[in-house]
Amino acid sequence: MQRRYRNISDLKTNESARAIAFDDSELACKLTSMGLLPGTRIEMIRKSPFGNAYYVKADGVRLALRQEEAASIFLEM
Amino acid sequence: MNDGGDSSVLKIALIGNPNSGKSTVFNQLTGLRQRTGNFPGVTVEVKEGTLRFPNGHEATLYDFPGTYSLYPTSSDEKVVAAVLTNTADSNFPDVLVYVADVTKLEKHLLLFTQLLDLNIPLLLALNLSDSAAELGIKVNASKLSESFGVPVISISGRTGHNAMRLVMELEKMVNTQQSKAKSQQPTVNSPSFYRLTDLEKQVSEAIRQNLGIQNPYRALLLAHHAPWLQFLNPNEKETVSAIVSTKNFQSLRAQVDETLERYDRFIPISQAAIVSPPAFPNTPTDRLDAVLTHRVGGPLIFFTVMMLIFQAIFDWSVYPMDWIENGFALVSDFLTAQMPAAWYTELLTDGILAGLGGILVFVPQIAILFLLISILEEVGYMSRVVFMFDKTMQRFGMNGRSMVSLISGTACAVPAIMSSRTIGNWQERLITVMVTPFISCSARIPVYLVLIGLAVPAIKLGGFLSLQSLVFGAMYVLGVLAAFVSGWAMKRWLRRREHSFLAIELPVYRMPQWKNVLLNVWEKVKAFIVGAGKVILVVSIALWGLSRFGPGDSIEQAESAAQTEALLTNLDSVDAQGFVQQRRLEASWAGQAGKLMEPAIRPLGYDWKIGIALLTSFAAREVFTGTLAVLYNMGSAEADINDRSENAAKATLRERMKNEKFMDTGKPVYTLATALSLLVFYALSMQCFSTLAVVRRETGSWKWAALQFGFMSVAAYLGAWAVYVLFS
Repeated sequence: MQRRYRNISDLKTNESARAIAFDDSELACKLTSMGLLPGTRIEMIRKSPFGNAYYVKADGVRLALRQEEAASIFLEM
Repeated sequence: MNDGGDSSVLKIALIGNPNSGKSTVFNQLTGLRQRTGNFPGVTVEVKEGTLRFPNGHEATLYDFPGTYSLYPTSSDEKVVAAVLTNTADSNFPDVLVYVADVTKLEKHLLLFTQLLDLNIPLLLALNLSDSAAELGIKVNASKLSESFGVPVISISGRTGHNAMRLVMELEKMVNTQQSKAKSQQPTVNSPSFYRLTDLEKQVSEAIRQNLGIQNPYRALLLAHHAPWLQFLNPNEKETVSAIVSTKNFQSLRAQVDETLERYDRFIPISQAAIVSPPAFPNTPTDRLDAVLTHRVGGPLIFFTVMMLIFQAIFDWSVYPMDWIENGFALVSDFLTAQMPAAWYTELLTDGILAGLGGILVFVPQIAILFLLISILEEVGYMSRVVFMFDKTMQRFGMNGRSMVSLISGTACAVPAIMSSRTIGNWQERLITVMVTPFISCSARIPVYLVLIGLAVPAIKLGGFLSLQSLVFGAMYVLGVLAAFVSGWAMKRWLRRREHSFLAIELPVYRMPQWKNVLLNVWEKVKAFIVGAGKVILVVSIALWGLSRFGPGDSIEQAESAAQTEALLTNLDSVDAQGFVQQRRLEASWAGQAGKLMEPAIRPLGYDWKIGIALLTSFAAREVFTGTLAVLYNMGSAEADINDRSENAAKATLRERMKNEKFMDTGKPVYTLATALSLLVFYALSMQCFSTLAVVRRETGSWKWAALQFGFMSVAAYLGAWAVYVLFS
């Protein structure tokens, strides 16, 4: 079956996509309270020096997310 | 002018998201009139200050830790939910001030709308009005006020803009509140901002009836948080959990749905009240981060900054440390000369004054380090460090946030361990607390300097790289390695699966607020003086007793024997005095204990004199050099040993140490192997009672403190032994 969503890890630098859903309630609770909502445009800024974390902009708010955290966010194609 | 008990003092709480500039507002409103509040049941420190109204009345202002929501993920954030759900809490605020970053209002109103539903008088302060003006953001405060039904004021904690208006508005709210309380009007629940779902209504209603709670949203919060709320008794917890399970209430799911629903409702309101120009794509923050968080450049810059900071600590602290040491020596000499030669004079000079001096001498280094760390925190750099090193720290069972604790640990483990509270995951926080004392703190420096001067030749490698500073740096590396290895081991051993978060906001770079920086430094220094200092002082006095008195009349006997011997061998008066002092110490309780433990430390290459120094330095590591000075017959020259310059006293101590021989074998005690072994011992051992006390407080049990003492001592012993065997 073809995937119908992307992950933050699929984004290239300066590429952006809208978040559509979360797959983990606990992370969703944390991320939504920080202003990362379904519909928020997420832009990839850069990866962390040792990998495993992303520097993103969510509607202009700069956030650092771990790979697992980023992976729980589904982005539109 | 607050008369009567605590309950009559009005309490105002500042609440807001992290990076909302809340603490700047707090400092602006209270200045130096602040202290740590007493919040029973929470280990997190809530700052409180006094707010003075124009009419002379006063109120207590609380600065709660920044949080995004009433659904917290770290112990820091839990305080807000814990206090606001308990109306009977003695700290329950009468008025709330919600501080929001006006430049990010659309993201910053979630918690505000949750507070609205708690039906506590609330004021919305739109902070950073100065930045908003710069960015061309226009806010219609009265429109917001109308929509939310609360007073709204634009302020700037940085420039002080509208601070007075905020105070006056608060005064008005307080007065209404008081007259309401006098007329004993029943508080009516205003319609809530968030509409509870049918299920939430049922759960909330059931909890309200069973626990006698008025506010529906507060009852709902209990449904979410009852298991960890300390003010609920076991019966109440049982009741709530029974309701939650019979209604099949899914807490996490409900939290997300509620959060999204709130956004849906407040975003149109904030959008209608705010006009902001399109954001620039490439702001100064973006340009700075392109360098500072660069994959290669970022870590390089970080390590360079750290090196510069350590350089600054050493260069800047030498002078104030000299003044403090000389000052104490002067006072001590003066008292010795003026007061009768009796045990209480010695208690005063060798016990109390020496203890106080031992505490205060570290203040310059600690203050300078925290000054620089606070600046990095204030400008927003620390969260970038957290981002860059999160992966590395995770490998060793910690969190990117642990970097702040470990860096602070180079000054003093006590405030460093306290700063681990921002780590949400219990295991990551525990590991951070457990390994931070491995980082070489400022108290180890004097010990390192004396031992390195003794054992390591003062040569330059390749003509410029000093071997001594290389070994000195190696001690820091050893501490860091020990911290990481034990972190890795603890991670293996604990293996607890619990959600761990990085998810951190990287704030816009800003110029530091000097008031915030200085207050933060003052707070950390106070934590050291109060937290560590008290213990150091008590142990210092106890150790003075142990080395001043001995079993029976052994001290008197040793003294008269030594005096005779000194006369016979024609020692000059200074040397004779030192000789007598040395013999007295040998005969004391501490001396006896040192002899008793010699078999245990002999494998490490130590004799009983070093044993005494190990014992006496348990309160504070730097006592080691002072004790050795006495043991090696240095008279009163000990005050100068800590000095880094090549002075006579240090040279003399080194000379004496070099000549020291084992009593039975006649071999020299201080070989290169012994000195290196001692260095390793001090780098790894838990020679600090104050740290143990803080660990107990932060982890909630002596179990972890004891474990930490155990494994650090074993590591120190084995490490020292290995080094001794390797080099001898």
